[in-house]
Amino acid sequence: MQRIGEVIESSTTRFTAGAYELLEAPPFGSLVRAQTRSEGMAVYGLVYEIRTGSKEPGGRAVMRGRTYSGRNLYDGEIYHEHPDLAEVLQTEFSAITVGFVEGGRCYQYLPPHPPPVHYSVYPSDDAELAGFCESSDFFRSVLFAAQIPSDELLSAAIRAAARARPDSRDYLVRAGRELASLLKDDYDRLTALLRRIRP
Amino acid sequence: MGLDLTALSRQVRQMSGAAALRVADTAERTAHAVSRYRESAGEERHWARAADLSRESASWLLAHPVEPLGTARGLPERPESYALVASDGSQIDLDRHGSVACYLINIGRVFLRYGEDPLARLSSEPALYYRDEDLYLTDGARRVAIEGNYLSARRDVDEGVALVGLADEFLSDGLPCMALQDGTLIRWALSGAERFVQEHFLERYLAYLDAMRERGVPVASYISRPRSPEVVGTIRLMLCPDVDVAAGRGAKCDECSDVADGREPSCAVCQGLVDTDVLAGQLTEGQRGPLFISMSRINVEDYREHTIHFFHMRVGRELARVEIPQWVAQDPEQVDLIHALVYDQAARGDGYPVALARAHEQAVVRSADRRTFQSILEGSLYRAEAGASASAKKDSKSFIRG
Repeated sequence: MQRIGEVIESSTTRFTAGAYELLEAPPFGSLVRAQTRSEGMAVYGLVYEIRTGSKEPGGRAVMRGRTYSGRNLYDGEIYHEHPDLAEVLQTEFSAITVGFVEGGRCYQYLPPHPPPVHYSVYPSDDAELAGFCESSDFFRSVLFAAQIPSDELLSAAIRAAARARPDSRDYLVRAGRELASLLKDDYDRLTALLRRIRP
Repeated sequence: MGLDLTALSRQVRQMSGAAALRVADTAERTAHAVSRYRESAGEERHWARAADLSRESASWLLAHPVEPLGTARGLPERPESYALVASDGSQIDLDRHGSVACYLINIGRVFLRYGEDPLARLSSEPALYYRDEDLYLTDGARRVAIEGNYLSARRDVDEGVALVGLADEFLSDGLPCMALQDGTLIRWALSGAERFVQEHFLERYLAYLDAMRERGVPVASYISRPRSPEVVGTIRLMLCPDVDVAAGRGAKCDECSDVADGREPSCAVCQGLVDTDVLAGQLTEGQRGPLFISMSRINVEDYREHTIHFFHMRVGRELARVEIPQWVAQDPEQVDLIHALVYDQAARGDGYPVALARAHEQAVVRSADRRTFQSILEGSLYRAEAGASASAKKDSKSFIRG
């Protein structure tokens, strides 16, 4: 699959990538793969935030829907009339690190090093996503990660994984059981999560 | 203690009061100058001749009218699709107190295409100059440092060269196009320079204009809120008692007959007025005023077929001045194209051409970048064991000593 972005900020637990095409970030909750310096190793992350703004630090977009002569421009027309916007705005997405692949084996814990800045980020296809979700060890890292919408993120990831598998329903039931064991002390949170992944 | 703001604010208030008084006075004199200008409608050949005659002996700038003085041409239709290139530059000047002799020029490069297949390419290209031939111009035993005004002249040339590069890269698909620059195309800064310095820079600058002409890419420059008094200079001729075109006599300010008779010169009403004061009344949104030739010495004597023409154009509340070389000015279709495209650019940019705003954003060197550049420079020199250090004066300014 074609690379969609490049790492611009990186730390042990999460990384941020700039998207090569404006407004074309991978969807919330999707699994992305960042290349590392060793050939057979890549880091997996779940996209938890997408944002678009000025490339300039502190810069902001200005309103462009009403032109100087009073003509109204809507949505896509604005980008068509101002091709320079694609050069000065940037779409970024951040992902929480949920595992890595090395030598063909998948591990659902933190890699020894985060992906290097400027290395490529790829989306994962259905087969890769289904393969990654064979194990549910990453549920825990997502549920207990700080400062991210963790319940929304995990449910979005589970729904995406279910769509990518032929045994969607079975998978959802399995994931629900896993959640129940992780959240046995928090009934309210569990039910809210289960409602989000109900088949 | 830095700036004493309390002492300053008193002076600022006094200045504001004086400025308010001046506004009323200027309005009255503007009305007088405008009525004289309007009376002369249809006599543009006459006043063009007067400007030519007075070029050497008048002590003000002059404009040579090429079109009827009352011209107010409506906005021509803009082509569906068009492309343009623009450049802007900024520099870090030679720091005499710094650790090593060098300067930096950063050129912002812009390509924009509108219409069917919109596209934009923005980039910037820094260049560090430190060789002797970059730092000095030599003519026999004479050596002139390239700094201050001369560095600006060098930057102007580099901006032009960047436009030629952009035109070659992007403007070969037959779309209507132009190259746009910020500020004036007349290299005033060189007019007081030594002849060999002037020749050095002008030769290169005119070569850039030659190159654009060969490629068929019209060049224009945009001046927001121009303060030039060239058309006003020609109105002074209209008020001057000494001008007699039939007798081949222009204004001779050294022998002003008003002054000789102990009167205030008749042209004194024009003192402090600028061209936009005069033309503002005759132009509505998008319209352009008449074409003039700037009669500044360097333009008339050295610019050959590139002699700079200009017109004013109404963009919102301000009149912008657009300058074009003669080979563009003499082709009415090209003038219309420039008129339409420059206006479209200004309209898209809320009153200032988008391409120029983008070029500036690309070129600008912020103070943080400047500091980083300095520390990279010093670090690199240190590692290279080039034995560099800043002057004692510079060191003393870096912090307040207890």
